[in-house]
Amino acid sequence: MSAAPMAPARASRRGPIDPRLLQRARATRGYLILGVLVGCATAGLTIVQAWALAHALGDIFETQQLGSLAWAVPLLAAVFGAKGLLAWWNQWLAHRTAAAVKSTLRRDIMAARLARPIDSSVSSASLITLITQGLDALDGYFSKYLPQLMLALTVPAIITVAILIADPTSALIVVVTLPLIPIFMALVGWTTEARMRKRWRIQTRLANHFADLVLGLPTLQVFGRATAQAEGLRRSEAAHRRETMGTLRISFLSAMVLELLATLSVAIVAVAMGFRVVFYEVDLITAFFVLILAPEAYLPVRQVGVHYHDAADGVAAAEAAFAVIDPPVDPDAAPASNTPDGAMTAEPGPSERALLSVRDLEHTYPGAASPALQQVSFEVTAGHIVALTGPSGGGKTTLLNALIGFLKPTSGGIWVEGRPLHGLDQDAWRAGIAYVGQHPGMITGTVGDNVRLGDPEAGEAAVRSALDRAGGPELSPWQRVGDGGEGLSAGERRRVAVARALLRIDTGRARLLLLDEPTAGLDAAAEATLLGSLRGSGTTAVVVSHRPAVLAAADRVIEVGR
Amino acid sequence: MSATMSGRRRLTWLAGLQPGSIAHGWGATGLAFGASAASVALMGVAAWLLSRAAEHPPVLYLQVAAVGVRFFGISRGVLRYVERLVGHSLALRMQSALRLETYRRLANTTLLGTRRGDLLTRVIADVEAVQDLVVRVVVPAVSASLVIVATTALLGVFSPGSAAVLLISAAVAGGLVPWWAQRASLRADADAVPTRGRLASAVDELSRTAPDLVAYGAASIHLGRMAAIDDELRLGEARSAWIRGLATGAQVLAAGVAVLAALLIGGPQVASGSLPPVMLAVLVLTPLALHEVLSTLTLAAQTATRAHSALDRVQEVVLAEPIGSGDLPASPDPPARPRVSVRDASIGWPGGPTLLDDLTLEVGPGEAVAITGPSGVGKTTLAATILGLIPAQSGIVEVTGRIGYLAQDAHIFATSLAENVKIGNKDASAADVVDALTRAGLSLDPARVVGELGATLSGGEARRVALARLLVGQYQVFVLDEPTEHLDADTAAALLDDIWATASSTPMLVLTHDPEVIRRCHRVVRLTAD
Repeated sequence: MSAAPMAPARASRRGPIDPRLLQRARATRGYLILGVLVGCATAGLTIVQAWALAHALGDIFETQQLGSLAWAVPLLAAVFGAKGLLAWWNQWLAHRTAAAVKSTLRRDIMAARLARPIDSSVSSASLITLITQGLDALDGYFSKYLPQLMLALTVPAIITVAILIADPTSALIVVVTLPLIPIFMALVGWTTEARMRKRWRIQTRLANHFADLVLGLPTLQVFGRATAQAEGLRRSEAAHRRETMGTLRISFLSAMVLELLATLSVAIVAVAMGFRVVFYEVDLITAFFVLILAPEAYLPVRQVGVHYHDAADGVAAAEAAFAVIDPPVDPDAAPASNTPDGAMTAEPGPSERALLSVRDLEHTYPGAASPALQQVSFEVTAGHIVALTGPSGGGKTTLLNALIGFLKPTSGGIWVEGRPLHGLDQDAWRAGIAYVGQHPGMITGTVGDNVRLGDPEAGEAAVRSALDRAGGPELSPWQRVGDGGEGLSAGERRRVAVARALLRIDTGRARLLLLDEPTAGLDAAAEATLLGSLRGSGTTAVVVSHRPAVLAAADRVIEVGR
Repeated sequence: MSATMSGRRRLTWLAGLQPGSIAHGWGATGLAFGASAASVALMGVAAWLLSRAAEHPPVLYLQVAAVGVRFFGISRGVLRYVERLVGHSLALRMQSALRLETYRRLANTTLLGTRRGDLLTRVIADVEAVQDLVVRVVVPAVSASLVIVATTALLGVFSPGSAAVLLISAAVAGGLVPWWAQRASLRADADAVPTRGRLASAVDELSRTAPDLVAYGAASIHLGRMAAIDDELRLGEARSAWIRGLATGAQVLAAGVAVLAALLIGGPQVASGSLPPVMLAVLVLTPLALHEVLSTLTLAAQTATRAHSALDRVQEVVLAEPIGSGDLPASPDPPARPRVSVRDASIGWPGGPTLLDDLTLEVGPGEAVAITGPSGVGKTTLAATILGLIPAQSGIVEVTGRIGYLAQDAHIFATSLAENVKIGNKDASAADVVDALTRAGLSLDPARVVGELGATLSGGEARRVALARLLVGQYQVFVLDEPTEHLDADTAAALLDDIWATASSTPMLVLTHDPEVIRRCHRVVRLTAD
């Protein structure tokens, strides 16, 4: 976050407000409307303030009498008080909005994560960082940048109208110069963009050198090379500094244009006004009124520039959130055409007797060069145990994930009793599945809590029996399970997950059992117990395994990836 | 030195890292002062110009003021531009100096097995806070304070009373209120820390167990639990929202108080003849231009808190006492019979508790000894001791021959594959590198750029690069740390085949809990916690 002073022109890519923020986070819309109102009120108060000050000053100057103070001082006190309260209220509103928007995004992020259960592209650690710290960049965006942006949209226009009514000549200067600011800034940015981007790339490469070396320190130390790298770091730092300064010389130009135009315009208005006052063309009160208002017309525009970093950080945080919520679609990815439903193709329709029919199923992960699962077809008869075997990386787990509906295969299809799987209600389909993944997830709580995922209403005895049948008689349902399954070995986690699946079968709702290497961490005795309970349950099962005992117990063995 | 030091001591410490930075800093502050003062002076001189013009003197009398107004109008933008360049140049120099210092200190303390991976990641980001400290805290705050003092002094010549009110209101709005508001919001942030922790755990659990929760239809229940924590956090943030805008409101009020005071004190002065009428507008309108200067101070206060807490974390790391030798000491020329000999040794971190007692262990050529035991028993500490990175607490640890370490998480640097291999031996020729890569079972182009900049290597390939480092350096004793961790069974078996083939006569110590690895070793030493 503190890298912001060097942030490239990220915010300009999408404009100042990400439209997805407006769609997703409704609080943003309400805030923007209120922001416009606050801007109008601020402008109005500023005009009253300038009017009262100009009259008081003009009166005292010309008459040397204090009569005007009697009404001007209370009025000004009220105006300053109201402006102060308005500024405070605006900030309060902005922070509340930021809190609401962050909350909406946090929920959307996690809902999106659960909608793609096997998507591991965003690690748990980076999700935590995004949700707890990353989104906090929106605080600055909402409390500093957006309020200024709303002021910049309203205040200059209203104030310019006030100047126009008081003194059209001065208004002309403001009207001509104010729009020049964004035009010149865009021009400077546009002419230097290509050069900036090239320099930015070099800079990023140099900047990463430090991170790379620090993270590699333990490795360097065991080869006795850590101290020697300090000299290389010093050189790369010096190069980094030169490159960065080169970029900054250009990128600060647009800020200078802004400052120059804004202050010089005020100076021109003031000087012109001075000479017109001498020649009786304008009275002093009008002159003061314009002098007080002119800087106020430019101030919000300049302040937007001041809060550029907050804007860039906020937009980056929102983008990181939306990258998880609506992941970018890979243009190279094959279309998810999970549609051959028999009626469309000339092939004979899948058997209605088979519980599952898998036809020409193939899946390629987005961005991957070759398919993870190559064409496979088979049928599963109700009550049978089907074993999937084959080399590592052959697509067995991918196939299992397609069966439970975690992924949409890129071609081919799956039918359940003759009906296409993708047409079924996914929740209802999963309610009839007992599942044990390759790396079973453990919730924080007790072993019993974890087993009861299979049947929340299960009693003490049912949990005990499920654990026994899963080859875990030594596991106590009361044993604590920490974060990330802490306290249980890999084999124990697997047994808990199998018990979970058996409990679901006990409820009588499970029609299909999907097991990924269920006996990998088990010894021969536990394996035999488990296979026995599988047979006994009479449930249809699809089991990924290499173990001879499992293959021998299966009704059918299907080679995947050969 | 304590990790949290006062702002002044921290600046002295940082300035000490970069010679000339104090003069450089004053240069930037002077320019920033010029830029801010220009906008205040513009308003003051313009107010005088209009008032004087209303007395209708010959135009000649107005020329100087007119030139002054135009000068301040131009100089503000130009000075700000130069100031930003000078300030950023200093900030970058300070950042480089702090990075170098951090690197040097870290390089001199043994990092192996200290589980400080997350700490290193944090330090990398935290070091950048020094930029904020220079550009967005020290330079703006000092220059803004100077502008306020200078403005007060000048106006004080004409109206001491209104100047005093101006100084007080600026001190309250620019110093006291931002400071108080910042402390109050820090307290609110601290109150939210436990809730944030619970939110992080909930996110972690949801993310790790997503397939199981979805498969068992429990996703919405768990999402609901997270939402409940999220509600707590949102309500807490909303409750403390009122504090955070306080400084902004105070600024507006302070400017108002100063303007009104100037009107109430300066007006009667004009009426009584003790203040020239042309000065009244100057007195009243100049405080309006100070508004921007005050907002600089508020921003500086907000950034200061963040920058200081980041630098606290950096100093905690940088100023910690170094442990062990840092770099592995270079070993002498190759002896005839490499071996490891540990006799009655106690193992533990220097100054820490003893993890292993009375350990005796002999590994000769052609022997592979597996070291197993529950996690936390001290396997990696034993490795660090045998490598010579930290001393044994007592007893004898003798290693003859160059000893090399194959880490489970060996870092792949963002450079060519060849450079990565040459970490093992900086003098290796291109042919040596190709030979080592081939023996390590990698048929990749040595010129290929890998790491963060280039293609990512698979877990198996990365471990083979680490093996190639050991081979190119002609290491004679291997310490392998969980060589199969995070690899799938087939990849792990292929890697083990290759390691055992290339290191058939090398004494090997293998820290592992993988039964497949243990099976391949000649002996097993089971460590148990005392």
